[in-house]
Amino acid sequence: MAENKRWAMVIDIRRCIACHACTVACKAEMATPLEVNRTWLKIVEKGTYPDARRFWIPRLCNNCTDAICARNCPTQATYKRDDGIVMVDQHRCIGCKYCIASCPYDVRFINPLKNIVQKCYFCEHRVDAGLQPACVESCPTRAMVFGDKNDSKSEVAQMLAANATVVIKKEMQTDPQVFYISADETAMSNVEDGINYYTEGSLAKIRF
Amino acid sequence: MEHTDVNVIYSVEHQLPLVMYIGQYFFFTGLSAGSFVISVIATLLGRKEFKPIGKITALLAPALLIIAPINLILDLEQPLRFWHLFLYYNWTSPITYGSFLLTAYPIMGSIYAVMVYTDRQKAAKVLGILGIPLAISVHGYTGFILALAKARALWNTAAMPTIFLVSAMVSGIGLVVIIAAVRWKWFDKKATPETRAQDKKLILQLAQFMAYVIMLDMFLILSDILVLLTAHADAFEAGMLILSGNFAPLFVGVEIILGSFVPMFLVLGPKSRNSLTAAVVASILVNIGVYAMRFVMVIGGQTIPLS
Repeated sequence: MAENKRWAMVIDIRRCIACHACTVACKAEMATPLEVNRTWLKIVEKGTYPDARRFWIPRLCNNCTDAICARNCPTQATYKRDDGIVMVDQHRCIGCKYCIASCPYDVRFINPLKNIVQKCYFCEHRVDAGLQPACVESCPTRAMVFGDKNDSKSEVAQMLAANATVVIKKEMQTDPQVFYISADETAMSNVEDGINYYTEGSLAKIRF
Repeated sequence: MEHTDVNVIYSVEHQLPLVMYIGQYFFFTGLSAGSFVISVIATLLGRKEFKPIGKITALLAPALLIIAPINLILDLEQPLRFWHLFLYYNWTSPITYGSFLLTAYPIMGSIYAVMVYTDRQKAAKVLGILGIPLAISVHGYTGFILALAKARALWNTAAMPTIFLVSAMVSGIGLVVIIAAVRWKWFDKKATPETRAQDKKLILQLAQFMAYVIMLDMFLILSDILVLLTAHADAFEAGMLILSGNFAPLFVGVEIILGSFVPMFLVLGPKSRNSLTAAVVASILVNIGVYAMRFVMVIGGQTIPLS
């Protein structure tokens, strides 16, 4: 039973207050440089006054079971651990960025200081030591719950059994391991939101 | 698609992973593969008037292949680790296949060029036939790189490898027309009036063939766009981006009109079909159009945000 660990996260958006504590804790824990993010929030506003309302969704790497990034990495620098975490070998990565181009969730980035690909690894250094990821630890409303999906006694397994959950872009068939309760479809979508085209690099920023 | 009453209050910006080094790499491998195929056809047909073209293109193919991987290494974030691609591999990744193809093909192409220049016809023919699938794979796999990146709607189509190969053919023939015309005008020392007339006819025929391949390219692009516009939300946005959005001037203006329709009319039109100048202008436009196509595909494909 302990052999087949499957790390997963459940984020209950009914409890999330969009305080960004998870974003800040992650930056601090992982020393993520400016302009790149392992975890972030997306907040959209729907409707016009007086019928307007905001919806948000915390985003991080889903550590997909059938990850497109791991399938496409030419050196297997990106690989899947047995417990489900998708890792990047910092010494093997050549920075070809094919994984970034392949990821449907935009969670990968090039660390501008180290020139390799990085992303959220569910804080595997903390998890391996028996702790919770930094974002989960910092969440003031306990909206984020992390644990072993295969352990029926864990909070994650119980929440998954008791609640209706959704994942982002299920049609991508990547089998993501971050489950949301009460996520808004416009907040989850990348095309329903009036598309802000944003690019960096060799092209000037294009705005819709 | 209605986007009314939705405002993004907070989100983060994401990097554009693949920049134009990669697009240029696609362009050069396409030119190289196209040149090699033309050279092998000229060698196989064996006629004397095809020899100069067969020789020039035999040299061009490996030469272009030296420029191409330099673009790749420049694009890497860790360029000094490029040798990892030969030590480590992943059989589900097109780039792994590409690394080995990209080593085998220039070696094969150089040996083939030596055979052609030292007039060993039989060896050249055998190597040429063996080399054609290699040349096609060297450019075709780049189409698979884009097609297998499932996340990007503009890329994830079964048509991508075919579109790449057909545009490579078009730009390759265009390059050969330009080089052959330059040689005809200024570098043909052993010319007699009849060989000059023969060579000119050959170049014009090549340009005509290029026009027919452009028609095939247009059909492929039309099918791709029709399916994009009638598929899911991301695909629709990708189609609208290149047809009427920020990439429309490059796609419709440069790739389709300037790079495909104008050359077709120049080469096939009654007033210009016998003009070598028109053929050369058409070939230059075609290459500009194919370069623009690589840009639109690579950069435009990453412009639609994924989160």
